[in-house]
Amino acid sequence: MENEELESEELDEFESEETDREIVVPGEVLTEDVEHFIPGRGTLLNKNKTKIIALNIGLKQIKKNYINVIPLRGFYTPKPGDKVIALVIDKNPVKYKCDINAKDLAVLKPRNAIKRGRIKSFRGGSQGSSNMESEEFEVGDILIAKIISADRLNMPELTIVGKYLGKRVNGIVITIDPPKIPRVIGRNGSMIKLLKNLTKCNIFVTQNGRIWIKGENIAYERLLFDAIKKIENEAHTVGLTDRMSHYIESEKQKRGIK
Amino acid sequence: MPLIINDVYPKKLFREDGKRLDGRENNEIRPIKMKVGVISNADGSAYLEWGNNKIYAAVYGPREVHPHHLAKPDKGILRVFYRMATFSVFERKRPAPGRREKEISMIITDCLEPVLFLELYPGTAFEVFIEVMDADGGTRCASTTVAALALADAGVPMRSLVSAVAVGKIDGQLITDLSGIEDKAGEADLPCAITWFNEELSLLQFDGDMDLDELNESLANAKTALNEILQIQLKALKSKYTTILEEQEGGES
Repeated sequence: MENEELESEELDEFESEETDREIVVPGEVLTEDVEHFIPGRGTLLNKNKTKIIALNIGLKQIKKNYINVIPLRGFYTPKPGDKVIALVIDKNPVKYKCDINAKDLAVLKPRNAIKRGRIKSFRGGSQGSSNMESEEFEVGDILIAKIISADRLNMPELTIVGKYLGKRVNGIVITIDPPKIPRVIGRNGSMIKLLKNLTKCNIFVTQNGRIWIKGENIAYERLLFDAIKKIENEAHTVGLTDRMSHYIESEKQKRGIK
Repeated sequence: MPLIINDVYPKKLFREDGKRLDGRENNEIRPIKMKVGVISNADGSAYLEWGNNKIYAAVYGPREVHPHHLAKPDKGILRVFYRMATFSVFERKRPAPGRREKEISMIITDCLEPVLFLELYPGTAFEVFIEVMDADGGTRCASTTVAALALADAGVPMRSLVSAVAVGKIDGQLITDLSGIEDKAGEADLPCAITWFNEELSLLQFDGDMDLDELNESLANAKTALNEILQIQLKALKSKYTTILEEQEGGES
């Protein structure tokens, strides 16, 4: 599996040069110079407009004249276009309900679950749904899906029509803190390439904090699992990619994996 | 050693050398120890030791509200469950939540609500579970402090932290941070909490008698104590991440 369509904005966060690794906590004053700096993500200008404060526990980042706080803990908020790993937890004739690790359950309608290659040409063919067959799922199935609509009030809607999307019948799904996902991918996908090359596993990383892995054998999968947990633990440190390659090589020798 | 209290209080609450019964000065708070991330199943958690008080707090959310009729369509809700363990006090405490637990749960909710952005999460609930393992006076203040810490650890967007402390009066003298025996035998008890983003009082309860000048002086004492507590909170929150950083730097050099 590939993660080609990486959102460059999300990935810059942890790796950016300007990120001074200063840990801030909610309510901490980031700057009192409100003329030169603009409050960005995770920050707030106080009522008297005298200082900018942090809202999350995270890392302080200055980008041009924006001040951002990159969260270290938090929950996943669905956004249209995100790929997520969903677990089917309820089904009825008109929709499936899926757990996507967010505050709401997501909805998958049969019209968004059309089988691949079954859509006949529109010219000449009937416009109705007679020649469209949608895939059927059972409760407990793991799906890789894309969010097509999400807002504050309604349940997010999923689709499984697209590249790399669909049901997974093998592999392991692990969950980490959603804000640390960019770190697992690395700048321009460097970390994920490293993990793939060294552990010979297929990895699919999704925005809701779930990672699907499938390796040659269980030993590689265990090694990858430990490596991802280590990344999650040390997400706020510098030079993680180099350290991870050392870690995986040494663990390979310890465990006797080639 | 826990104090055994048989409803008979000492006549004097000061020792002969002028210090309080546990050897503190008038404006000295008890030793405080805090730790975050102690419960792995919770979204955020914190543990606090404040003198003899031992309190756990765990935060979950935003998540669905049960029972469903409590959910509000325009904003999220904050639910606080303050409970005392049966073994936390000298006489066995009945485990069912009584009037006191419900009251304290309510005041902590009201105290923490101003710092959260509940309007961003309609139809959901943040749930804070506070479990008092060992109680020795001032648990409502300690619970507020530890609940704010657990919320921050969960990554919930907050305007600022919240700190709380009790001030009061015993034997005609104003003191800070009352212990259990001073709370019961003293003249006045004034728990207060502060929200740091606007430095306003978010909780103020009063029991006993005190004149206005003494009240003002007490609040000034409370402010200095609250500043001390805030520093401990900040240190506890950051130490979860800085310890890993220091290990890395130590290993590399």
